[in-house]
Amino acid sequence: MIGLAKGLKHTLKNMGKEKMSYSYPDEAIPLPDRFRGIQKFYPEKCIVCNQCANICPTDCITLTGKKNPDPERKGRIIETFDINFEICILCDFCTEVCPTNAIVMTNNFELAEYSRDELYKDLQWLDENDTNIRKEN
Amino acid sequence: MIRTEEMLLNVGPQHPSTHGVFRLILKIDGEIIKEATPVIGYLHRGTEKIAEDLQYTQIIPYTDRMDYLSAMTNNYVLCHAVETMIELEVPERAEYLRVLAMELGRIASHLVWYGTYLLDIGATSPFLYAFRDREHIINLLNELSGGRLTFNYMRIGGVKWDAPEGWIEKVKNFVPYMREQIEGYHELVTGNEIFKERAKGIGTYTKEDAIAHSLSGANLRCTGVNYDIRKVEPYSIYDRFDFQVVTREEGDAWARYECRMQEMEESLKIVEQAVEQFPESGPVLGKVPRIIRPPKGEAYVRIESPRGEIGCYIASDGKKEPYRLKFRRPSFYNLQILPKLLKGENMANLVAILGGVDIVLGEVDG
Repeated sequence: MIGLAKGLKHTLKNMGKEKMSYSYPDEAIPLPDRFRGIQKFYPEKCIVCNQCANICPTDCITLTGKKNPDPERKGRIIETFDINFEICILCDFCTEVCPTNAIVMTNNFELAEYSRDELYKDLQWLDENDTNIRKEN
Repeated sequence: MIRTEEMLLNVGPQHPSTHGVFRLILKIDGEIIKEATPVIGYLHRGTEKIAEDLQYTQIIPYTDRMDYLSAMTNNYVLCHAVETMIELEVPERAEYLRVLAMELGRIASHLVWYGTYLLDIGATSPFLYAFRDREHIINLLNELSGGRLTFNYMRIGGVKWDAPEGWIEKVKNFVPYMREQIEGYHELVTGNEIFKERAKGIGTYTKEDAIAHSLSGANLRCTGVNYDIRKVEPYSIYDRFDFQVVTREEGDAWARYECRMQEMEESLKIVEQAVEQFPESGPVLGKVPRIIRPPKGEAYVRIESPRGEIGCYIASDGKKEPYRLKFRRPSFYNLQILPKLLKGENMANLVAILGGVDIVLGEVDG
């Protein structure tokens, strides 16, 4: 019986303590800057080096490039850039290898959709995903 | 005249007390278990086979998903194996960060075990306390690595990020807080007569049985075998810390409970010492070649995960992908003793025994 009473004492002691639960989704969850969320893509920075697609452990990035239409500038520019969020594991490798920081992480993580097709995100969508961008990449 | 007959009962795969998708086929006579056959593989993703097509760095996020309760140790075992193969020196600051992350992960993992084990056998409130305190650790690791569960923090030759500003201070403050909480757990649960009656003397096995079944971790140490790879074969910088290997003699569920509870305290000791010795500055990533091609040959390393001895075997043929990769996953081996433990036991003890073994199905199935 003594053990039970001690346990009850502990419970009572903890009643007034600070709450650890979050009011999500009513309030946004505070996340640290390093949090790995959905990527933001800057098409103008991309040099179509293909490193992100090569390092991706789940092969979820597909991209194509084209010749720069400006005849005075060399190199290629991005034409299509898709990430399949059905299989993306947000591992951060694509942002790690990108030499121009054309792909960076944000703190956004809400990816729920009604249809699986909507999980294929294209260049435009990834470009528009421009809130809560991670400062350090 | 009373006619009795044996009955087949399926426990799982979707059963909350199996902590994942695990199925047990039980042959029961009344309330007594005559035979138990575990069926595994529901969570099999073929990590080892997938790894054969991936570069060494790309495998790291896959290891996060094996033992998802202590992903840091899994990250480490792979990186350690590759570093052993290419004889790479890891910077000191990175080693300290790794140890801090692994030991915090060990405490978080034991907290999940503690909470869910008691929840399984009918005590609800310890679960809430355990998860409240685990949240502190998860937040610390989230700040460090950017993930709450799948950290993907370690890299071959070091770690991805240096500690953020003020992080070490937070870890330092966490240690006394957690010590106080563990005291509270003892008040709440360890002294509780009902729990004592429930856990003492069930699922007992001897030292010989444990060794014969290749058990490791707290499942082995609860029988009195003083075996912890951090002491037996120190890896990383574990030889710099002063801590005890916790053992008990009884070999029952209660002994396993006591072992794990004290292990959390020992981990706190390591965290405390690591924070004190933490180097002021320095790199966190060694000089790593851009594409890692280990020489032809093989390597096996083993480390102490919260569940026991986790090993990683790599056979390389000199290419950037491994020829063969094999993980010795402790939960898989620890589970082997279950049919023996359950035979002749009362049905009501099933969950108390299974919970005490502490398995993670992601790791069992690989």
